[in-house]
Amino acid sequence: MTTIFFATDIHGSDICWSKFLNAGKFYGADTLILGGDMTGKAVVPFIHQGGDHYRVTLLEQVYDITTEEELKEMTKRVRSRGYYPYNTNPDELIDLQNKPELVHDIFRAEVLRVVQQWMDLADKKLDGTDMKVYCSPGNDDMAEVDEIIRSSRRVLLVEGQVTQLDAHHEMIASGWSNRTPWDTEREEDEDQLAARYEAMISKLKDPHNAIFNVHVPPYKSGLDEAPELDKDLRPVLAGNSMIPVGSTALRAAIEKTKPLLSLHGHIHEGRGSTRIGKTLCINPGSMYEQGTLLGAIVKLGKNKIENYVLTSG
Amino acid sequence: MSNLFVRKATGMVRSWSVFDAFIYAFFSINIVTLGFYSFSQMYFFGGGMINALVLSAVFLIFEIIVYSSLIAVMPRSGGDYVWMTRIFGGGAGFILSITGWWFTLWLWTPIYGDMLRQFVLTPLLGVLGQKDLALWFSGKGTPLFVSTMIAIAFVSVVIALGMKTYARVQKYSFYAGMLGLLIIIIMLFTGSHESFKAGFDANATALFGASSGAYDATVKAGTDAGATTPISGGTLNLVFLTLPWLVFFNLWPNWGATLYGEVRGATDYKRNFSGMAWALGSVTVLGIVFFLGVSKTIGWDFYMQGNGAWWNYAWGYVTNIPPLPVWPYPALLAVFLTSNRLVQIVVILLMSFWWFGWAGTLFLSSTRVIFAAAFDRLLPEKVAELNSNGTPINAMLLMVLPAILVSYLYAYNVGAAADGTGGFYTVTLAATQGIAIMYFGTAIAAIILPYKKKELFNASPIAQMKVAGIPMITIAGVIFGGFLAFLLVEWMFDPWLNSGGEGPGLYGISFKNTWSIAFLLGCYVLSAIIYYGFKAYRKQGGIDMDQVQKEIPVE
Repeated sequence: MTTIFFATDIHGSDICWSKFLNAGKFYGADTLILGGDMTGKAVVPFIHQGGDHYRVTLLEQVYDITTEEELKEMTKRVRSRGYYPYNTNPDELIDLQNKPELVHDIFRAEVLRVVQQWMDLADKKLDGTDMKVYCSPGNDDMAEVDEIIRSSRRVLLVEGQVTQLDAHHEMIASGWSNRTPWDTEREEDEDQLAARYEAMISKLKDPHNAIFNVHVPPYKSGLDEAPELDKDLRPVLAGNSMIPVGSTALRAAIEKTKPLLSLHGHIHEGRGSTRIGKTLCINPGSMYEQGTLLGAIVKLGKNKIENYVLTSG
Repeated sequence: MSNLFVRKATGMVRSWSVFDAFIYAFFSINIVTLGFYSFSQMYFFGGGMINALVLSAVFLIFEIIVYSSLIAVMPRSGGDYVWMTRIFGGGAGFILSITGWWFTLWLWTPIYGDMLRQFVLTPLLGVLGQKDLALWFSGKGTPLFVSTMIAIAFVSVVIALGMKTYARVQKYSFYAGMLGLLIIIIMLFTGSHESFKAGFDANATALFGASSGAYDATVKAGTDAGATTPISGGTLNLVFLTLPWLVFFNLWPNWGATLYGEVRGATDYKRNFSGMAWALGSVTVLGIVFFLGVSKTIGWDFYMQGNGAWWNYAWGYVTNIPPLPVWPYPALLAVFLTSNRLVQIVVILLMSFWWFGWAGTLFLSSTRVIFAAAFDRLLPEKVAELNSNGTPINAMLLMVLPAILVSYLYAYNVGAAADGTGGFYTVTLAATQGIAIMYFGTAIAAIILPYKKKELFNASPIAQMKVAGIPMITIAGVIFGGFLAFLLVEWMFDPWLNSGGEGPGLYGISFKNTWSIAFLLGCYVLSAIIYYGFKAYRKQGGIDMDQVQKEIPVE
């Protein structure tokens, strides 16, 4: 029996990545799958004020850092939320404000630097173990991330591939999503998604025992409920109005192929499990900002799911 | 955080409107359904109602701080259940939350049903000229049960429609209900007591078949019932004693708060706080305005006498039907100021939106908790299934079927003495008590959060909110927790504390009320059985439920 641990949407959180690497041993899983959206969403400037003094604004709270120890602690705190600390000074800050395109380069450099650190950590931690780690970057992850993952000895990039997990189960994987209001790195129209899925599904030897590891959840599955937004990206009705935003192409693929298991993320508040036909669909959700790794343990049997549970670690 | 340093990524939304948050909090402390209903039952206290409203609001501000703070530290996490589970660990969060958000709502069901007939069916049928049907609906037993079944049907439709639709229904209901209330307040402030008295006698007879001289008869029946509560004044002790009943109305500004989105800084924290605080403040002011309007035209003493006359009968202390044979709904009393039927119908219809816009809250939160427990494998997977229309049919059944049983016990007042007193109908306030116990757990979680989850707190948007070095969340938790402890002690030891150990006391849900204690204990025992039963069952299947909730080591 293969036991997989699935987590997703850790968005740059060092704590969550470390927990992910430790989750196999902690939960007794032999396969780790990261569903996508590895990279963070914000850079936090550490503005040098002279000497050992830095000023940092985190979550609209201003911190004056005056010692090496405080600097270390603040860096850890910023990283724990998945943000990227960036040492700068008042002059550079003015430059960045005048040329916002430069911030994009900072983002790219920080994101790729951290992904590289994560791969190095995985190689170091998992060397000498039998743990298998699969990863398919999500719609928020820039394309350059793929190359770094490919260079890892222990983390396998599985985007767009059919992967044989064990003697009975194959996995298809994709981090691409349907269109979002944010025009993110990997998103496309539903017909393009359908073609993407079909290209993988057609290669499956035993589709009914397959696992779909697809970042976006299926449409109207309950795992894809997100706050309805107005044209200014403001949640309407104080977030009380939830609407389905999943992929119709994926739902159709699941209904047609009837895989054993379908793993998703993308909608952080969509934590849950459901069935589409007999297919078990799971979105463990995400609480990366709090350093909590939400996940799912699934015990795969031949032609069936032996057991599963959502975790909060 | 400056937008300059935030990239375009999924979920990077702007802040929600404070006004929208205000509307939901405002509807949760519903001045009409919860307010008018509880004010009416509070006819026998010595503390002034205005004083009590203000004093309770002072304490409830700290509830708002506690919830705004917890949302800031752990947003979109599932509320009380997740907060308590993560801070306490173990089953405490499950047992308190399942009881508070799910089982206790079974008891709220017949209360919603009672409100439906008192606020909508009876007055509307009365002004539409359907006297017999109106009087039937205001009767005991079957009418209450039927009304409750109608309420269940309505709320089930709401669940089937989904939150997207109902959120809009609520918003439109807010405007319609507010228009109705505005008309009522204008009528109360522009009318005279003499015209009210004449209108009361005329309409009570015309609409509900009351004998002539209903006004004077109501004064006598209410005085005999012991109607004493003043509009204001009273010693601090007497005002405090009104609070355990008053919170039935206003303990809920946080009801929809756990749905609020990500908190990215002090601004979002303030938005959460403001939405709830403005609602609490507005409702408190509105309550005071309502009391003053009642006092001016209906007459405060008559208002309380009418309430006393009705509830003394409803609770079984007397058997004679009161002179006004229906509940003295303040909106109905206000429209007695006019003899224009159309105006009466329109105003009562507009006021009914307070019920329709609010009633969905009955099962919506419960459904979420049932889903959360199923996702945690502490309930069968089946309960979280959606049917082909996307309706959580099994979760609804878990709400509806027990609610029907509890409604039966409540409507037919099972267990009442031969003289009609006592019985299951007396446990009304236990519906508030069950949720207050859960809030108490949350308040304790808030107090210890900065110390037990130091890193989590320090990396949160409220890390710097401190007074004299003590985190604001801890201070607010102590005050709110202390207030809840006061309520819980008063409810539980009511006769000893308030009436020398005799009678039902002031609130009727003390340890002397077997039904109340049995209901609450039954709920806790049931949730403990579910928790420990499923834990053992999952263990047999190779899943250690303790392990899946434990924090994974980082190193």
